[in-house]
Amino acid sequence: MSAILELNGLTKQFGGLIAVNDVSLAVPEGGIFGLIGPNGAGKTTIFNLITGVYKVSKGTIMFQGRPITNLEPYQIADSGVTRTFQNIRLFKNLTVFENVFTACHTSAHYSVAEALFRLPRFAREEKAIRAKATELLTIMGLQDRLDVTANNLPYGLQRRLEITRALALDPKLLLLDEPAAGMNPDETNDLMRLIGEVRDKFHLSVLVIEHHMDLIMGICEQVHVLNFGCTLASGTAESIADDPKVVEAYLGGEGKKSC
Amino acid sequence: MEYILGIFELSAINLVAVLGLSILTGFTGLFSFGHAGFMAIGAYVGAIVTARLHLPFVAAILAAGLVAGIISIGIGRLTLKLKGDYFCIATMGFGEAIRLILNNWAWVGGARGWESIPQFKGISVSLPFIVAIISVILVWNMVNSRQGRNMVAVREEELAAQMAGINVMRTKMMALVTSAVLAGIAGALMANFVGFIAPKTFNMTKSTELTIIVIFGGIGSISGSVLGALLLTALPEIFRAFSDWRLVFYGLAVIVIMVGRPQGLLGGMELTPAGLRKAAAANKAKAALLAESRAMEKRGEI
Amino acid sequence: MTQFLQQLVNGLSIGSIYALMAVGYSLVYSIMNFSNFAHGSVIMLGAYFGFFSMTLLGLPFIPSFFVAAFGSAIIAVSLERLAYKPLRDRKAPFLYFIITAMGASIFIDNFVIATIGPTPKMYPQIFAQGPIMLGEIALGRIDLAMFGISAVCLLALILFIDHTKMGKAVQATAYNMKASALMGVNPNFVIILVFAIGGALAGVAGVLYGMKYQVFPQIGAITLKSFIAAVFGGLGSLPGALLGALLLGLIETFVSGYLSTQYRDLIAFLILIAMLIVRPTGIMGKNAEDKA
Repeated sequence: MSAILELNGLTKQFGGLIAVNDVSLAVPEGGIFGLIGPNGAGKTTIFNLITGVYKVSKGTIMFQGRPITNLEPYQIADSGVTRTFQNIRLFKNLTVFENVFTACHTSAHYSVAEALFRLPRFAREEKAIRAKATELLTIMGLQDRLDVTANNLPYGLQRRLEITRALALDPKLLLLDEPAAGMNPDETNDLMRLIGEVRDKFHLSVLVIEHHMDLIMGICEQVHVLNFGCTLASGTAESIADDPKVVEAYLGGEGKKSC
Repeated sequence: MEYILGIFELSAINLVAVLGLSILTGFTGLFSFGHAGFMAIGAYVGAIVTARLHLPFVAAILAAGLVAGIISIGIGRLTLKLKGDYFCIATMGFGEAIRLILNNWAWVGGARGWESIPQFKGISVSLPFIVAIISVILVWNMVNSRQGRNMVAVREEELAAQMAGINVMRTKMMALVTSAVLAGIAGALMANFVGFIAPKTFNMTKSTELTIIVIFGGIGSISGSVLGALLLTALPEIFRAFSDWRLVFYGLAVIVIMVGRPQGLLGGMELTPAGLRKAAAANKAKAALLAESRAMEKRGEI
Repeated sequence: MTQFLQQLVNGLSIGSIYALMAVGYSLVYSIMNFSNFAHGSVIMLGAYFGFFSMTLLGLPFIPSFFVAAFGSAIIAVSLERLAYKPLRDRKAPFLYFIITAMGASIFIDNFVIATIGPTPKMYPQIFAQGPIMLGEIALGRIDLAMFGISAVCLLALILFIDHTKMGKAVQATAYNMKASALMGVNPNFVIILVFAIGGALAGVAGVLYGMKYQVFPQIGAITLKSFIAAVFGGLGSLPGALLGALLLGLIETFVSGYLSTQYRDLIAFLILIAMLIVRPTGIMGKNAEDKA
């Protein structure tokens, strides 16, 4: 199975601090891949590097065999990599529908002029993406709350909306940053099922950062463990769980600060 | 009667500038302190076209918008990559720089100003209204398109907007250029309406006044801008006697609005059938959600 | 050569007023992370406070300074409590703060125009006429006073910030408000303190400005230059504000002396624009990358 995402020797330095140190991993196409590690291990930094929010200090990022290192964030999103955020960054004052409708913009191609003068192409494509947004929201179970302001949604549904918005760009790879944060076991189970369904229905690959071990064990085929920016272990979920180094890192070893 | 017509004309002219600023500040969330500078550019270009080149008013309007737009591209390239505070100060700097350059430029009258600019007479008196109406339509069309929605996304959550594939720089640039073009057009209309322009008309107070109207009318609302422009142009004229206190009132109003009712008159809402329906639907959905969670509380699920 | 030294002296004295203004403004910025655009109005009020305490109250020179500093501090703190605090409590977006600051500035400036009137007022003669001569260089007495008073104030500020417990609290809060709150620093207190100090400095700057030039309601516009100075030196950095202000004063004076006074104000903006293009963080500014 080919890898949809490959990180090779990825390194990010902030001044004197090495946040990500020579990390290499490969996400198989169609797989659900977990990225775990104690707080501050560099997981979100890796997401930021992949999505172009941070510039890479060293190493490369290959997506579908092509380099996306240091491209502009919108270009990376356009190529098929989208994400959700640890602290949910919805368009808070927009409705559920508008959040997704806005993100559908890449499926329409009319120009400013065509929009200003309401030329036929505008009407045609607007109608199409409107339908697309509605369909997507229905698939994700949010069709009854289209007019609710995103801010007013219950927490669990906000997460779901964020995932829906990420799907609006027709991604091939979905990056989820701690999607189960703040969820109870029931909600986590629902989320697990949702992620699996999304992967199957939309034919994509998922890279998920998580602390909830049930979720990791439950759906991740492979897991990569980070500690202080370095790779600690990598393999199947079961092998990781038994790895003494991983256990020590999570339960606190002697406070080793480097690789 | 002519006096009342004059007030409406002035409102129409202010509306065009306010619509532009609304796109930049209200919809894209970029706060510009120098917009009067673009009006100034438009006014002087308009004056040159009508007073020196003796071309018709429409030519002045088009030229003014074009020149202001082009200059804004340059300014945008330099300033749009700056974050929040810096962008404000930069636009302030540019606005003042434009005013100072005009102040020192003898060919266009310098600090004393430029008199005897051709004024609207007869049928051309309708030009400000026609331009205002066209502007409202075009701005409406822009806001309700993917380009407009992208602007709102940038205002709401710039980082998430980037992740959603939005080219933030290009979106901001589009907003800036559009607002500059409209400001330039408004400036030209102003020149031909009043017949006299001077750099001090286009100072920071003017820039701030425009922003106050946008806020008063409501951020993210075109009907709000229309209402705001009408009210805040007409009212001061009516209360001419208290002209000294006009700006005092504005300043206080801004503070009160920001602290008490930041959405202004119609923030985020539109006074159209669809807009009102949407506002009603949002309220209904919110109430339903509230009821739902209360019910869950009663049942002990929360 | 004398020309040069003369201009140097002039530049430093105007730079010292800019420094008072810029440092006050930067101080607030470093804690609150927003530009208090009402700062200019506070400076203007300081000029009027000083003027009225000398003319109406008949106070001598030095006490008038304190009246102005105190009055301006009160205004600044009131502004914070009445306008900014409600926004902070609501976690309002950054845009709202700037808009409110602008509103406050327009309110205050025009209130003065509507009540006291727009005619400029002259400070009474304080110093003896005629400059002090140092060789061939004329040192205006007012300029010397400006430079001296500014230096004293800034020195006091530095001593306060670096060597007192409260000053350290201010530094800590500027660095990280939440963390210092956890360490027992009351952020509300620090905020009030910072606005008070900024206001006091503004008041003194206002009096100095009024003494050197005139007192009029639009003094606030001058403060644009203090923003430029602060940006020039690096927003949020106090030494940067000082450096930026002195440099700005010097450059302005040299341009106006050797080129033309007409371009004096324009130069400030050109510096600003150049700065923002080349090095937006200013001479001594810090870099920041947005964390996701």
